[in-house]
Amino acid sequence: MTIFDWCKALEDTRVGEIVRESAFPYVEGVHVLGLALSVGTVVWFDLRLVGAAMRSRSVSGVFRDLKGWMIGGFCLMFLSGALLFTAHASKAYASGYFRAKMALIVLAGLNTAVYHLTIDRRRAEWSNAPIPPWAARAAGLLSLVLWFSVIAAGRIFAYNL
Amino acid sequence: MVWETLQPFVNRLGSSEFGQWIGQSTDRIAWLFVVHLVGLTLLLGGTFVIAIRLLNIGMRSQSVANLARDIAPWRMAGLLLSLMSGALIFTGGAVSYFEGGWFRWKMILLTVALIFNFTAFRIVAYADEDRFNPWLRRVVGGLTLLLWFGVGAAGRAIAFF
Repeated sequence: MTIFDWCKALEDTRVGEIVRESAFPYVEGVHVLGLALSVGTVVWFDLRLVGAAMRSRSVSGVFRDLKGWMIGGFCLMFLSGALLFTAHASKAYASGYFRAKMALIVLAGLNTAVYHLTIDRRRAEWSNAPIPPWAARAAGLLSLVLWFSVIAAGRIFAYNL
Repeated sequence: MVWETLQPFVNRLGSSEFGQWIGQSTDRIAWLFVVHLVGLTLLLGGTFVIAIRLLNIGMRSQSVANLARDIAPWRMAGLLLSLMSGALIFTGGAVSYFEGGWFRWKMILLTVALIFNFTAFRIVAYADEDRFNPWLRRVVGGLTLLLWFGVGAAGRAIAFF
């Protein structure tokens, strides 16, 4: 069974049918407004890392405040995104924009993992610095670029659906 | 009614050379939607973090006024991006957008949200911690959230209903 066959089978499931025929506008609405809770919360941590917002607050404090909301926001996005995918899986799989979006999400995840495994381990040393070390700034900037690119790829994919 | 008064202006805008030029290219409209979503992410993301602080359910390690001041430039940039891209998207299909019930609801909600944002929300968010009753702060936080997410939801409804 190829990935394309698997996508077709997913579309034919009851869930795929319900989303495609009736729930699509509501699930897509949740996916779009969910941007405020996912990228819309991560953006403040990234801007703190870059040194462009909340400079008088520690990076650890900002992270503590946002952590639960960021995780919740991304869970909502993955769940609503997965439901949207079941409705048009084969078209999505065939779309270059959708593939770019998935690749960008993987890169954003890798960037987060690398940040947490490297410079973030020494966060106690620089948490209060208004401008964090270059590696943290680079991770923040890359995260902003990658997440806004995910939004762009997702929107253009949806526009061409 | 105000809608009838605006109709001749909308007709002129829709048939103007600029309106035709924007509406002609699906790529142009798609990229304007990307900018609209980037603006939405900053505006609604910023609104969300300030609102959960006003509701006293998150971001508790700093005062509302500090948080609101810290993220105001980015949140306002988001508002400007949304308004400018929204105006251009409207110009590309002025007459048909203007006829839609959801578009009119979005404009009404947007007007109320803007007025509320620059009056009650601004006064309460920027005030000293003990100046207003906690319940009043919660009501203002909840209303801000409802109004701005209502604008977003009405925007999605334009596309589907």
